Amino acid sequence: MARKTLRLFAALSVASAVLLAAAGPAWAAGETIGGCVIAQVHYVEEEYGSLSAVEADEKAFKAFEEDLEGCVEAPSPILPELDEIIWGGLAFLILFAFMWWKGFPAVKRAMDARSEKIRADLDAADSAKADAMRTKSEYEAQLAEAKTAAAAIIDEARGQADQLRQDLQARAEADIAEQRARAAADIDSSRRQAIDDLRTEVAAIAVGAAERVVGASLDADVHRSLIDGYIDEVAGAGSNGDGS
Amino acid sequence: MSILALEFPPVSHLFDWPTIWLDGTPLAINKTVLIYLAATAATMVLFGLAGRPRESLVPVGVQHVAESGVNFIENSVVMQTIGPDGKKFMPFLTSMFFFILFSNITEVIPFIQFPANSRMAIPITLALLVWVIYNVVGVKSQGLFGYLKNSLFPPGVPKVLYVIVTPIELVSTFVVKPFSLAIRLWANMVAGHLLLVTFAILTATLWDFFYVPAALPFLMLIAMTAFEILVSVLQAFIFTILTAVYIGGSMHPEH
Repeated sequence: MARKTLRLFAALSVASAVLLAAAGPAWAAGETIGGCVIAQVHYVEEEYGSLSAVEADEKAFKAFEEDLEGCVEAPSPILPELDEIIWGGLAFLILFAFMWWKGFPAVKRAMDARSEKIRADLDAADSAKADAMRTKSEYEAQLAEAKTAAAAIIDEARGQADQLRQDLQARAEADIAEQRARAAADIDSSRRQAIDDLRTEVAAIAVGAAERVVGASLDADVHRSLIDGYIDEVAGAGSNGDGS
Repeated sequence: MSILALEFPPVSHLFDWPTIWLDGTPLAINKTVLIYLAATAATMVLFGLAGRPRESLVPVGVQHVAESGVNFIENSVVMQTIGPDGKKFMPFLTSMFFFILFSNITEVIPFIQFPANSRMAIPITLALLVWVIYNVVGVKSQGLFGYLKNSLFPPGVPKVLYVIVTPIELVSTFVVKPFSLAIRLWANMVAGHLLLVTFAILTATLWDFFYVPAALPFLMLIAMTAFEILVSVLQAFIFTILTAVYIGGSMHPEH
């Protein structure tokens, strides 16, 4: 329909433009009073031969007078002309028929289709936005979960590190204490051994010396008890004296 | 006609155009008739072009004009006066609006410079058509008795006042409405055309003697031309919205 109808419209438009252009020179070209009078006079002269002949005919003269008065009577501007009513009414009816049948529905259909498409696009956009929001929420939830897990892992690692540190520290302290106790025991044992050795040595020396001094042999057990008693006195005196 | 030393043409020369074709027949064609035909053709071309199927989502060219007109009539006329029920009158009201608009706007188009609605033919024809339509709609919507009752005896009025109100409503609804509709449009376009012609003649006459003072009526002519564009649109709108109001009143008497 489109091309054919458009051609028809174009032809109508061109025809209307030509008609309007032709009507342009009609500007202020209405019938003048003088022209009307002259036309009436010419008409009467052609009909009756001369104006005198009309004057002689009372009926014709009255009609001539009425025709001349008609020249100065302007048409009432408020009364519609029949030809304009017919053409104007016809033009409007044709227009209405076209609009009712084709013009209005086509434009309305195009507008409705566009509205529908825009609405569908908006719905799709809303749906896509909702999907994006949902995905974002999921990502955010996963991210929060990951952060929580990471924090838990870090806390656990930190706890383990603290525990390890405490364990190591305790073990080191225990080792130190053990080594210190072992060293003290060793020192004590060494000291005892030294004292015993010293006592044996001193006893032997003292016995030997006494034997030489008195020249007599003493009973060994008596000598030992005497020497131990002496050494204890000496050790007691030594401890009180220098503190060792 | 000489008015204040101005040669002013007789009114018949401003509105009564000589026949171009078919002189002496009821189908005589003059400038006014050509404008009516051109208004029909212009509206048909406008909607024919605007209604073509297009790929583009964005309206282009004359589509804007047609769609803006349709939107305007739907939202500012039909929905405001009749409501959703009035959408079936959209083709009629749209045709009426554009036909009156294009018949008016020729007032300011160079070389045409004549509003076809300053002739009574179309205003009175359309007004009588509107009269028929709103009466038929009233009878269809309310029934003959209901329509006459609601039209002549408006509810809410004290019964004593019907003595005064009923004759007034009778004249108003069945006589005055169509004529007021027609005369409003016709008189506005006549007045506009007279104003434009007056300032045009004043400018031309002054220009023959004094160039500088001619500027004043010329500026007024420009201003009045702009004003008449507004009047052309406004009168088309007023005619259309009053038609819708009358139809709406017949469909929904409670309003």
